Amino acid sequence: MLNNFVMPDLYPAAPEIFLLCMSFLVLFVDLIFGATHRGLAALLTVVTLLGCAAITIVTADGHTALTFSNMFVDDLLADFLKLVTYLAVIVVLVYSRQYLADRGLDRGEFYLLVLYATLGMMVMISAANFVTIYLGLELLSLSLYALVAIDRNASRATEAAMKYFVLGAMASGLLLYGMSMIYGATGSLEIGGVAQAMHHGQSDKTILVFGLVFLVAGVAFKLGLVPFHMWIPDVYHGAPTAVTLLIGSAPKLAAFAMTLRLLVYGLFGLADDWQKMLLLMAVLSIGLGNLAAIAQTNIKRMLAYSTISHMGFMILGLMSGVVGGVVDPFTAVNAYSSALYYTVAYVLMSLGAFGMVLLLSRAGYEAENLDDFRGLNQRSPWFAAVMLVIMFSMAGIPFFVGFFAKFAVLLAAIKAGYTVVAVVAVMFSLVGAFYYLRVVKLMYFDAPVDSAPITAPMDMRILLSINGVAVAAFGLFPDALMSLCTTTLLRSL
Amino acid sequence: MISLPHYLILGAILFSIGVVGIFLNRKNLIVLMMAIELMLLAVNLNFVAFSHYLNDLSGQLFVFFILVVAAAEAGIGLAILVVLFRNLSSIHVEDLDQLKG
Amino acid sequence: MELKTILFYLFAVIMVFAALRVVTARNPVHAVLFLVLAFFNAAGLWMLLQAEFLSIMLVMVYVGAVMVLFLFVVMMLDINIEQMRKGFWTHLPLGAGVGLLMVAEMAVVLSGRYFGLQNFPPQNLPANHSNTKELARVMFTDYVYPFELASVILLVAVIAAVMLTQRTRKDTKGMHPNDQIAVKRNDRLRIVRMVSEPPEVQAVDAKAEEKS
Repeated sequence: MLNNFVMPDLYPAAPEIFLLCMSFLVLFVDLIFGATHRGLAALLTVVTLLGCAAITIVTADGHTALTFSNMFVDDLLADFLKLVTYLAVIVVLVYSRQYLADRGLDRGEFYLLVLYATLGMMVMISAANFVTIYLGLELLSLSLYALVAIDRNASRATEAAMKYFVLGAMASGLLLYGMSMIYGATGSLEIGGVAQAMHHGQSDKTILVFGLVFLVAGVAFKLGLVPFHMWIPDVYHGAPTAVTLLIGSAPKLAAFAMTLRLLVYGLFGLADDWQKMLLLMAVLSIGLGNLAAIAQTNIKRMLAYSTISHMGFMILGLMSGVVGGVVDPFTAVNAYSSALYYTVAYVLMSLGAFGMVLLLSRAGYEAENLDDFRGLNQRSPWFAAVMLVIMFSMAGIPFFVGFFAKFAVLLAAIKAGYTVVAVVAVMFSLVGAFYYLRVVKLMYFDAPVDSAPITAPMDMRILLSINGVAVAAFGLFPDALMSLCTTTLLRSL
Repeated sequence: MISLPHYLILGAILFSIGVVGIFLNRKNLIVLMMAIELMLLAVNLNFVAFSHYLNDLSGQLFVFFILVVAAAEAGIGLAILVVLFRNLSSIHVEDLDQLKG
Repeated sequence: MELKTILFYLFAVIMVFAALRVVTARNPVHAVLFLVLAFFNAAGLWMLLQAEFLSIMLVMVYVGAVMVLFLFVVMMLDINIEQMRKGFWTHLPLGAGVGLLMVAEMAVVLSGRYFGLQNFPPQNLPANHSNTKELARVMFTDYVYPFELASVILLVAVIAAVMLTQRTRKDTKGMHPNDQIAVKRNDRLRIVRMVSEPPEVQAVDAKAEEKS
């Protein structure tokens, strides 16, 4: 009866299995020792992520392996994105330890939910089927909804959680409707199967495009592209800064993977159609994100709008792979690796920027207004310099990592024939440079409003310094990361 | 004879009622969540119909997982709603105005 | 008209009516009950599509558990209906218009020839075909990975719901059976050595109280 069933190969999924088993250990350890040893859950979580990283490195052999009846794919791209994800989550945990402890939020549930969110990202990164994409996305989203509301007594946070939940659930509905139409038209839920059915041209184009519209809307919601961006500023602003740091960093890698797997691996036959939709949303996101950020006085809101514009840039790179319906492998890989490079660079910068907000916060005080950065140079010249590097990099000023990321994306866009779009993007990012430089001006030329000494623990100071140095160093040696991204994609496509 | 488009159009009607319901009940979070349930029901109807007419079970399995996730989602959503209600003593979106800009 | 066609239209009409009432009902409790009605009719439609297992599951799990959860929350929260429906009627014409337009556009796309009976003939499975058995066979072989993921999602929901709503109130007076059992004689009983006092003093005091 089951003679055509092959026992799945568990080897490619070893990191996921390890993480899940360790999460149960964290659950038990927190139950038994949670009250007496407060730091134990955090420590175990970091150990888990380091273990996952070790397993991912050991099992990465550069081959593309499909397992669990073609539901799970383990290629070089997945390994690379997972490694960056572990790193980002570890950085998040180190940055937010003191912040959480000051507010009594460092309970075991926080670390458990972070672990499950990480598992959701890993599932999304390795998904090769609509079912696994959806389940990974929901695992991530559900953990994040709960994390946003983790401070139960903060009405602002629960309000943000509710908005996030309602809009996120609606986006899932749109995404699923799109998936149902594509399933109906192609008869397959597998990404490979969908691509094959489309290649053979046996499915109806109208239905496919109809489904694609809903699918792209759902993806855009999750990425936070205009006009589906409403939740980003509210959630970033309302959530506890430690959670904002998490939402603003690692999930972007998973979102990139999801977009790539759905649109490029699966629906490449419709590239002409999704290219137009993404182009429009990319331009709107870059424009609105940069313009709205100028008006903000809250740095978390400002960074939220800047996220929207950065995601616009990432999508601009992703859609430049196909030129007028013709696929040139070289151009395509270049474009996708520019988008990958942009995503990784953005995660690095956003970790640093939100890390600075956490650094200046202390027990009973949230340093979330731009005014809190006034005169930072007098309080701590070193961290003012770190913030300077991050802001310059986000603005795209040479020679930091953000500059090369923007450069690569714009180059790909111009190669694909979107010169006008590239010019518009450059103009808006010049407008955007204004608000990044305003932060620098506040730090160096204004008198401090808040003169309390910085009380962050040593491990956070060291890691934040490394983060700042990394933003500068990847800018000095841009080829290292760029060639890594290109190689990864070349061997995974 | 009932054909596939019958079910699909029924799904489309249900989906539109869900979307319009979200638009109309922006002030009422409980009904908002029920409108989302209607959207998911429409998607499930689509999947079951496709699964039947394609004679392929994977559509029904997807529905199974959507139901599981929707149940989990309802659990978390209602938990957030209860917490919000404790904080604000109301569940009207009108009162959700601390986050603006 | 054959029976299946009649049943389809019956279920469809009731479901659309119930769905409309969900989003327009004045009382949220009624809205939940209409949603239950919509789910029951969807289950009927799934029966017609020979998805028996899902149809039963929709009634048992969805109506039986999720909708009851909705009802609990609706009844637990004290909802001000009038305030909630502010702006409902002013937006209704626009909402209805947009909705009708949406349905019309979607119907045009979906009623195309592609999904017609030529490409998708109705499937009639034999009477002894077990939908549940077939689903189980696929679920525990090819779909074992999503199945495990679904269990993790449920675990997350449990953790999140408990974390968000459980609270230990400071004014609750609770008992810990563990402490009650572990109690020792010396915790409760203190033997005090006292010198016995003469009884007259008390008697005099009692008399004094009676007088006053």
